Amino acid sequence: MEQLLQLLVAGLALGARYALVTLGFVVIFRATGVINFAQGSLVLLGAYLTYQFAGPWQWPFLLAAITSVIACGACGPVIERLLLRRMVGRPAFAVIMVTLGLLIVIEQAVPTMWGQDPKNMGDPWGIDTVQAGAVTVAVRDLWTLGLTALAIAGVFGFFRYSRYGLAMRATALDQEAAQAQGISVRRVVALSWTIAGAAAALAGITVASGEAGVSPSISQIALAAFPAAILGGLDSPYGAIAGGLVIGVSQTLTAGYQPDHAAWLGDNFHVIMPYVVMIAILLVRPYGLFGTREVERA
Amino acid sequence: MRNNRKAHHGCPPRTRTGPLARASAVTLALLLAATACGRGTEGGSTGEDGLATGPGFDGKTITVGVNSALTGPVAVVGKPLTEGNRVWFEHVNAEGGIAGKYKIELNKADSHYDAATAVQQYNRQKDDVVMFAQVLGTAITKAVLPNLKRDNVVAAPASQESQWVGEPNLAPLAAPYQIQAINALDHYRKQGGPDSTICSLVQDDASGVAAQEGVDFAARQLGFDVAARATYRVGDKDMTGPVTQLKRAKCDAVFLAGSPTDAGTALGTAAKMKFAPQWLGQSTTWYPTIGESALKPYVEEHLLIVSEGPEWGDTSVPAMAQMLKDQRKYAPKQEPSYYFAFGYVQAQLVTKILEKAVASGDLSRDGVAKAVNTLGKVEFGGLTGDYTYGPPTKRSPSRGSTMFKINMDKPFGLEAVSTNYSSAAAKAFTFDTP
Repeated sequence: MEQLLQLLVAGLALGARYALVTLGFVVIFRATGVINFAQGSLVLLGAYLTYQFAGPWQWPFLLAAITSVIACGACGPVIERLLLRRMVGRPAFAVIMVTLGLLIVIEQAVPTMWGQDPKNMGDPWGIDTVQAGAVTVAVRDLWTLGLTALAIAGVFGFFRYSRYGLAMRATALDQEAAQAQGISVRRVVALSWTIAGAAAALAGITVASGEAGVSPSISQIALAAFPAAILGGLDSPYGAIAGGLVIGVSQTLTAGYQPDHAAWLGDNFHVIMPYVVMIAILLVRPYGLFGTREVERA
Repeated sequence: MRNNRKAHHGCPPRTRTGPLARASAVTLALLLAATACGRGTEGGSTGEDGLATGPGFDGKTITVGVNSALTGPVAVVGKPLTEGNRVWFEHVNAEGGIAGKYKIELNKADSHYDAATAVQQYNRQKDDVVMFAQVLGTAITKAVLPNLKRDNVVAAPASQESQWVGEPNLAPLAAPYQIQAINALDHYRKQGGPDSTICSLVQDDASGVAAQEGVDFAARQLGFDVAARATYRVGDKDMTGPVTQLKRAKCDAVFLAGSPTDAGTALGTAAKMKFAPQWLGQSTTWYPTIGESALKPYVEEHLLIVSEGPEWGDTSVPAMAQMLKDQRKYAPKQEPSYYFAFGYVQAQLVTKILEKAVASGDLSRDGVAKAVNTLGKVEFGGLTGDYTYGPPTKRSPSRGSTMFKINMDKPFGLEAVSTNYSSAAAKAFTFDTP
């Protein structure tokens, strides 16, 4: 039981990191219909900016993290304005390739600026732990869960209660109708990219803190999180959270139990577990757990 | 640049005399020359001083290839390795060059640590180099090897995979990963008692397989069971699963293989879970960033690194003193680094091979391949273990390892606790030959 709880806590923390990345995918997809593969590069940028502020520049970590989130939040609309807006009306494949190209460019640019060697982010929680009964919980994981909960509550509160949140929901439902009602779709799209950039930075900070360290490979989490976005439903923020947590927990439980109880599945089965779960869920719910079913005429 | 395209100039005179024989000989010679010219990879010409030559030598300068990860995540290894190569060759050039008269220079290409890219770069470089002073990575060496065999080109791999021992086109260096694992476990059991529970945690690639092979061999030789064999995928962001597996098995010691980034994640997860076995890290697992993090007290107490040679800065070893002198002179900004030292020693090996080839009067590809397989025992002044080269069945790598503890007051964070440790089990390990 102790082991199960230990794995569940680790799985939820990993799932929370996935959820932050997935939230970025979903917010942009809802507003623009674009799957933004460059999300991983913003995760990377967020982690390295935090390192730069907290490490070499020796800012207090909280200030470094907040500045990094704001900077990445600002990067989002800049990317949208300079690149993606020019692609409006172009084939979806071309738009996806632009985001993929952007991912590769930023993935190369970041180590060119900061070097290839791993770095310590300078976060205050390091490898500290607290004891909760028989379970040892990492302070880093508690912060991850807390920050993710805060970010999600903020995003949902914004969607539910703010004027722009309402505008974003309306745009997601029907862009032309929203425009007819006087909603600035351009502003909504820019706002979506801001939220995605900020969420990516937060994901980068939680991924690279503690023992993990900052290294160019952390952008790979976006690929690992992609099944979470699909199984949750690509247009659903609720699905992003649920998908992230399902993937994180299933992956960690598999890594913990499979080698001893189902060794015949081979080494590192946990790596493909997210895809197994995704396929299983899509077979039952083709639009994901919370995805919107497309209306079809009979 | 003189190369094989002039191969027909160097053909020896024929001795048969009949018209038919002469015609046959001429036809055959032309065919051979044409074939050599067409492939652009074999044969050679003869230089002004009677030296048979091939690609990569213009009569004054010997060019050797470096096929390494100069960008991307593995550049943290590839760059200092290549600096080590360069610094030694600067030293050689300052003393007159190979055999005191031929300058040596590097032809560098970036593999991005990707096998397909590495093969492309190899094909681009091969006609401009005498041999490869460095090919970085186990998977990449595997991918390039068929090309090396086809072209009869020699390469020094920056990879301590045991199967390279038996490859005539490779000139490996240092004790293979299997030897590191065997020596580390033998050393631990002699220090920690024979009844310890031993486990392993390795990454799921070729170097992880090599490390596991060493652990399993040590188990058979030393008479223990491996209580848990945990693995992880390179780049895993959470290692609670495999660490839980090790903790459940109540491991007293865990042999750890992988990159520093993944090792940091594994050690950090273990520290958080209050799991504190004796970690025995393969040489590739260490980078000082780990000891500069919050993990410092944990790794200082629970981690030993197995590698080779003296600790950085130990000037009681003359070869280390020379290396530091060269590093200060030719690469003053170079931080203390294992990888730099490996590259430096690797370049010394390449120098020995080239000098042997020059002494034999044959700097062509065939001549260099012959030099590797007749080189005999090569000593590196203690920077790494002695290595006997020869035909595949006669080769014998170093069986020695150095155990380091973590001491962040030392350069590179490592302090030697047992230098050139060589166990009977390591000596019993045999290497496959093709």
